[in-house]
Amino acid sequence: MSIPPFPTILKWVLALSIAVIALFPIWWMINVVFALPGEPVSLNPRLWPTSIPAGIDKIRLILTETDYLRAYGVSLLYALLTIAGVLIVGSLAAFEFALFDFPCRKLLFGVVMLSLMVPTAVTIIPTYLLTSNLGWLNTMQGLVVPGLASAFGLFMLMQFMRAIPADMIEAARLDGASHFQIYWHVALPLCRNALITLAILTFMQTWGNYMWPLIVSSRPEMYTVGQVVGLFNSPLSHQTVDMVMTANLLAAIPPLLFFLIFQRKIVEGIAMSGTKG
Amino acid sequence: MNLRRHLPHYLMIAPFMILFAAFFLYPILSGLYYSFHAWNGVKTPEFIGLANYQKIATSRDFATAMRNLLTYVAITVPLGILVALGLALLVDNFTGRWANFFRNAYFLPVVLPAFLAATIWRWIYAPNFGLLNMMLGWFGIPSVNFLNDTGTMLYALVAVDVWVSAGFNMVIILAGLKNIPVELYEAARLDGASKRQQIVHITIPMLGPVLFFVVTYGLISAMQVFDKPWLLTGSSFTTYGGRRNALLFPVMDMMGRAFGGVRFGEAAAYGFILTLSIVALTAALFALRQWRGWR
Repeated sequence: MSIPPFPTILKWVLALSIAVIALFPIWWMINVVFALPGEPVSLNPRLWPTSIPAGIDKIRLILTETDYLRAYGVSLLYALLTIAGVLIVGSLAAFEFALFDFPCRKLLFGVVMLSLMVPTAVTIIPTYLLTSNLGWLNTMQGLVVPGLASAFGLFMLMQFMRAIPADMIEAARLDGASHFQIYWHVALPLCRNALITLAILTFMQTWGNYMWPLIVSSRPEMYTVGQVVGLFNSPLSHQTVDMVMTANLLAAIPPLLFFLIFQRKIVEGIAMSGTKG
Repeated sequence: MNLRRHLPHYLMIAPFMILFAAFFLYPILSGLYYSFHAWNGVKTPEFIGLANYQKIATSRDFATAMRNLLTYVAITVPLGILVALGLALLVDNFTGRWANFFRNAYFLPVVLPAFLAATIWRWIYAPNFGLLNMMLGWFGIPSVNFLNDTGTMLYALVAVDVWVSAGFNMVIILAGLKNIPVELYEAARLDGASKRQQIVHITIPMLGPVLFFVVTYGLISAMQVFDKPWLLTGSSFTTYGGRRNALLFPVMDMMGRAFGGVRFGEAAAYGFILTLSIVALTAALFALRQWRGWR
C-alpha cells in the first residue's frame, strides 16, 4: 500500500539524507579503524577508509596484545549457551502450553505472561544476590542460567505451536509415537522458522547485554565484549582512539553480519513482537 | 486428578517452570524481604522496616534521578515515536528494492548493542576533535563539550536514543501499515480525500493499537535507561551520573547503591520504588486510552 504525500524529488532527498544520518556513525567507525594510526580523528572527517593495511594491523594488534580475544570467546560462549538453553527449555514448555490441557495450565501460563510486565529493574539485584549465594559469580553458569526462562521466547514459540493441527498429533500418537517423540519429530520441525528467529533475536540480545555481565563478571578473565569495550572507552583508559574504535568495530561485526544474513527474519521477529503483542 | 496421565506434561514444562520459579519468582520475593532489611552482603540482614524506602525517598540523588528521568522520558518517547512514524510513512512510499534498502538503513543502528551506540557517540560528541564539533567548526561555531555541559548532556543522550530506537519502532509501525485494508483508502479517494487527509483520518487512527504498543513499550524501556548514560559519562561504580549528576538515572542510582555503596537492602527497595513508578505511568497511559476511547 503506498500513499505518496511527498513530492517525488523531496521524498528521495529526504530518504537519502536520513539514510546518511543513520549509517554515518557506523561508517565513520570503520574509517577510523582503516586509517593510518596517529592521525588525530579531527584532521579529516574520515569520509572513506584511507589505509586498509593499517586497519588490519590494528585488528591484529588488539587480538594479540590485549585480552580482547578472550572476552570475545566469553561473549560467544555466553550467547551460544543462552540460545541453546532458551530454545530447548522454551520449546518444551511451549509445546505443552500450546497443544495440551492439564490441571493448572492456565494459572501457570498466566503467571509466566505476567512476568513480561515486570521491569528488569526490580529483579536484577535479588537475582544477583541469589547468583552470588549459589557461588556462581564469575562463572559461565552465572551469566547464562538466570536468563534461560524467557517468557518472550515461550510466547513466541507458542504462537507457532498453536498452528499445528490436532490431527497431526493424533496421527503420530496412533502410529505409536511417545509424547516426547511427538515433540521431537512433529512439533519441532514444524517450528523451524520460529526457532531460527528466536535464536537470532536471543543472540542479539545476549551479545548486547551489558548490565548483567557488568555485575556478575567482575574478574577480568570473565569479562564480556561489552565490558571490555566500556573499559576501552572510559575516560581513564590509556588506549588510543584507533584501538578504541577497533574494539568497537570488532564488537559490531557479529550483529552486523547476522543482520546482513538474516535481515528478513530479524525484522519479522521484531514486527511480530509488536503487532501481536 | 489423574497424575499418571498428566505426568508427561509436567515433566516437559518442568525445566522452564523450575528456572522461572528460581530466577524470577524467588528473586521478587527475596527482593521484598531484603527491601525491609539493612544488608551489606556479609553480616546477617537486620530488619529496619520502611527505613530503606524512607532513606531513598528523602535522598538528593533520588530526586535528581527522578527529575532527569521524567524530563528524558517526556522528550525521548514522543520524539522517538514521531520520528519512527515519519520514517515508516516515508519508507512506505518506496517499493521493492529501495523500500528494503531504506528500511534496512534506518534499522541498522538498532542491530548494534546499546553499549556500542553509546561508545561510538562518545567520540562523535568529543570536545575539540570530535566529529560533531569539527562539523560545527566548519560554520565557525566554537567547540561544545556535549557530554560535560549540563545544558546539553540530556539532549545528547536523547539524540543517541532516537538514533537507536526510531528504527525499532519504525519496523513495528510498518507492520501495522501493512495491516490497514486497501479498501479504506480507495473509498476515501472516491470521496475526494487528499493524501494528507487520508493520513490524518485513516492511517493514524488505524495505527492506534500499534502506536499505543510502541508508546507503552518505549516508556517502560526508557524508564529503565542504564547502558547509554552509564557509558556516555564514562561511569563506574565509584563515579556515575556525569557532571553535577545531569545524567543520573534511577537504575544507575540503584546500581551505585548496591555495588558502590554495598547497600543491597536499599537497592532492592529502590527497585520496587522504580517499578511502582513504571506501573503508575503505564496505568495512566491505559486510563488515558480508555478515556479517549482509542482502540
